Amino acid sequence: MASKQKNMTPQQQKYQQLQQKHELKRPVLKNCIKAFWVGGLICAVGQAISYFYIYFFHFTEQNVGNPTVATMVFLSMLLTGFGVYDRLGQFAGAGSAVPVTGFGNAVISAAIEHRTEGFVLGVGGNMFKLAGSVILFGVFSAFVVALIKTLLGMWGVL
Amino acid sequence: MVYIIRLMIIASMILMSSCSQGHTEEDSQLALMKATNPNPTVTEKNNGQDKVEEIEKKVSNFNEIYDAAIIKGKEATLVVYKVKHMQRFNMKKIEKDLNKTLEEDYPKENFTVSSDYKIFLEAVRLIERKNNGSYSDKQAEKRLNEILKMTSDMK
Repeated sequence: MASKQKNMTPQQQKYQQLQQKHELKRPVLKNCIKAFWVGGLICAVGQAISYFYIYFFHFTEQNVGNPTVATMVFLSMLLTGFGVYDRLGQFAGAGSAVPVTGFGNAVISAAIEHRTEGFVLGVGGNMFKLAGSVILFGVFSAFVVALIKTLLGMWGVL
Repeated sequence: MVYIIRLMIIASMILMSSCSQGHTEEDSQLALMKATNPNPTVTEKNNGQDKVEEIEKKVSNFNEIYDAAIIKGKEATLVVYKVKHMQRFNMKKIEKDLNKTLEEDYPKENFTVSSDYKIFLEAVRLIERKNNGSYSDKQAEKRLNEILKMTSDMK
């Protein structure tokens, strides 16, 4: 960085200083607070849904995660289709992308984007463009963890 | 953004209105959110009520536990409890300690210990129905066995 500045002419350096002075600062703290609240709100909705399943259906605390995740992903898919989740994403940033609802959003937004290219090559081929890596890492890491657990179980450590 | 806020308000209103319907089983309605501490119950009358109350005292003595429901059946005794929020990291240790204490103090009893919310909710519902007379001893025993089966399925 310093060598770059050395190579600059005095005029360029002056311009650089002026540019730095007028450059808009990223509101990092504000973004973090927004992400924290919206992410927390999404998690609270998830908790309410899991209590709903525990209360009205035969799900225990151990297996209630499965229908809850499915419901949250489905809801975010619907909201993405209606264009609501995009606005939420603009407002909350990582707060709406990090929870599992961000996964549904990634799938559907890619599907909508490539809809014009047809159902098979467009929607089918590009649907998992963003979310595919999430699935791959999830499945692979689950496989590795299961393998380690099985081996530890076989050796009598666990 | 206005749409989102409107949606949230409508959703919370629906949620709140659904919570206030029907007041027949008040404790079990809020069992997931607040401490209920239901009276310990036996499925058969005059079959170890004192012992069950003693067990409840022992369970309540655990500092990490803030709510407990105990039901004694013919063959097994169900002990369900809620753990204080910050102690949820030590769930396994608490279950192990509780199991050990109960088995040491009552070697003849067959205990099933659980901290699952669903089991707790079903236990509170069973106690309420037993107390208000809508379950006979036989029905209560049957329901208790179903709950015990549910806990064994989780393991």
